[in-house]
Amino acid sequence: MNIRAIILAALVVTLAACSSVPEPNRALVEARDHYARAQGNSQIARLAPEELQAAGATLQQAEQAYTNRADKAIVDHLAYMTSQRTVIAEETAASLASQAIVASAAAERDRMRLAMRTSEADAAKRRLASSEASNLRQTAALAAADARERELQRQLEELDAKKTDRGMVVTLGDVLFATNESELRGGALNNLSRLAAFLIEYPDRSVVIEGHTDSVGSADYNLGLSQRRANSVRAYLMSQGVPSNRITASGMGMGIPVASNDSASGRQQNRRVEIIISNADTAMR
Amino acid sequence: MNTFPLTLLRSHSAAMLAVLLAFVVAILISGCAASPPIPNERLAVAEAAVQRANSASTSENAAGELQIAIAKLASAKQAVASKDYERADRLAEQAVIDAQVAEIRAQSARTHKSAQESQEAARVLREEIDRQTVR
Repeated sequence: MNIRAIILAALVVTLAACSSVPEPNRALVEARDHYARAQGNSQIARLAPEELQAAGATLQQAEQAYTNRADKAIVDHLAYMTSQRTVIAEETAASLASQAIVASAAAERDRMRLAMRTSEADAAKRRLASSEASNLRQTAALAAADARERELQRQLEELDAKKTDRGMVVTLGDVLFATNESELRGGALNNLSRLAAFLIEYPDRSVVIEGHTDSVGSADYNLGLSQRRANSVRAYLMSQGVPSNRITASGMGMGIPVASNDSASGRQQNRRVEIIISNADTAMR
Repeated sequence: MNTFPLTLLRSHSAAMLAVLLAFVVAILISGCAASPPIPNERLAVAEAAVQRANSASTSENAAGELQIAIAKLASAKQAVASKDYERADRLAEQAVIDAQVAEIRAQSARTHKSAQESQEAARVLREEIDRQTVR
């Protein structure tokens, strides 16, 4: 009875040993899962196929060892190797993906820089064109100013103006007035109308009209005569459209002769109206 | 008469040779089973791999992985000292793979960082361009 029970027990144990699957290995289960996850990741499969294959081969060795009931230390070792090879596959793929990002970002930066430079170049070109245009305008303005100046000089010459410290001086001789009269004679008008046109053309110029006489007659009379003559020149210029505020008329009498009053010709020179055209600094530059 | 002792002697030495041979074979077999050779080559490979992985970049970006590799190599050497050569071989093999993992982790961390930096740089540049376009 006792012996029979022992034999039965031994038989059961033996049978159980035969039919039992080996005890599950935790490291192998984890390695299997880890590898399956990596295999399911398309990025890893695409970027690190060799590394993934190496992990798969090691997993196969681990499975084989497990099926052959190899030592647990060996199965553990192969499972560990599988897991680490899977990590290598994962990190290789991640690294390559990052490198691709770096490359594409660099390419994008290059593209953007190029676009920026192109637009900068365009802007510079526009600026250059506009500055060239403004240069042209400036040159034209300068040329116009030069022409204007030359024209001014020419007109002043036509007026028979003389350059003096006080400005350009146009002297109207005695012959333009009747003796002891302040009315302008026709001959004077030609010269004066030119002066009026000149003053209208150059609005920044103003004139001082000074009447002078010779020493014949009383000082009072001469002062009055010179003032009247200056006034009539002023009146004429105003009648031609020159604003009154730009014309000053004063009688200087006989006090400022330009020649000797002893001779007839000297006295004639002293009987005069001087028209001083101010040097408008702004216009002459 | 002359030949007999010679033959005897000969047969005697042959028997002795057979015994000796059996002894040697027995020793060889028992030696193979009891102690595998010292995994010198694998240890050298592991040593080199760990040394290669032990760089400034790895200690900065994969310090934990590097420590594991270094510890694994030390364990392998210890196993050699305790004459557990099979275990030493496995540990040395693991030290190699651990060193490789440390290296690739560090590289991956580096490239990840530079990817972020270059994306940031591209973003900044794009903003700058947008501002210029608005101007």
